[in-house]
Amino acid sequence: MARVIDLHLHSEASDDSRAPVEAYLKWLARKRDERPLDGIVLTEHRQFDTQSDYRALEDKYGMLILKASEVETEYGHVLVYGVNDAMLQRFDFSNVRLRAQELIDEVARMGGVAMPCHPGRPTIGLIEHYENRPPLEGVVGVEALNGGSKKGENERVAELIDTYGYHAFGGSDAHLVSFVGICATEFEKDITNTEELVEALRAGGYRPVDFRVRRAPAQPASSGT
Amino acid sequence: MKTLYFEEVEEGDELPPIDLLLTKDFVRKYAKTAGMDFPRFTDDEGARQEGLPGMIAPGVLSMGLLARLIGEWNQAAQITRIGTTFRSPVLPDCAIHLLGFVTQKDTERHTAECDIWMENDDGERWVIGTATVLLPTRNS
Repeated sequence: MARVIDLHLHSEASDDSRAPVEAYLKWLARKRDERPLDGIVLTEHRQFDTQSDYRALEDKYGMLILKASEVETEYGHVLVYGVNDAMLQRFDFSNVRLRAQELIDEVARMGGVAMPCHPGRPTIGLIEHYENRPPLEGVVGVEALNGGSKKGENERVAELIDTYGYHAFGGSDAHLVSFVGICATEFEKDITNTEELVEALRAGGYRPVDFRVRRAPAQPASSGT
Repeated sequence: MKTLYFEEVEEGDELPPIDLLLTKDFVRKYAKTAGMDFPRFTDDEGARQEGLPGMIAPGVLSMGLLARLIGEWNQAAQITRIGTTFRSPVLPDCAIHLLGFVTQKDTERHTAECDIWMENDDGERWVIGTATVLLPTRNS
């Protein structure tokens, strides 16, 4: 059972990460006091991992491990939860020009949920595209807290949520082992599998949680020294 | 600087952070010395004409600084692989912070995997990466 879940991270299966799944779990076990997570969702870039079976790691570390995808659309990047064979036949996840409205509608019809991530980020975030295109229909939530965002990006999302009434969730967007769980989502109900995750994401009853610990920067020396 | 043997390094160890003021002068000198005497690395106006917000630090300079992070942690660590992702241009004349952790150890190869990154005062991670380092052993 899981209540606090990192809904967005990348393992070595993604082309821009070298982090093994077990290294993430060991890190979370080590950082349990700072980042009290119960589960993670692997959201590999432009693909869905149909092969890996993480049940042994779930038992060993006492963590829920689910799989999802991060795909690319003309409205920016979108996380797809509840991926199944029908979706993989309907869409080529490696296509970087997927049509967002079609993806959201079809994923919902096929039993999943598609939710824009890091919406405040230039080029690959929803907000910039809403300036030039009509708003998408059927969006139930957006990633309001992304662990890789720069200053101002997460703040811009608050206005988006106010305007459209989206649910807000959080994820670390970790590509490095030590970043896992710095941001996550706390659910009101326990999640035990992908179906329950999809149901909860659609219904609401969750909030982003921030576990980042800011280090006080020291007085810098000159680079020339 | 000190020497750390494989047996003394633990997963979870933090690499001692390095805090630097990356000056434009330093970046210019580096670029010229490295044969990268291009406006984007030496001149604000020239960089702006290329669509950049101002002069930026060369990527290899950022990688070199991250390599220094490892060298200052452990002078005996041999970097056998280093990989970085440049998430944002590195703009000089501001404080930067080099940070890292040991995340994994390989007891057969006597190597360690390190997360390494550069961030600014706002905690924005401009460059992130990993490195594999070969460590001496007490028995060798």
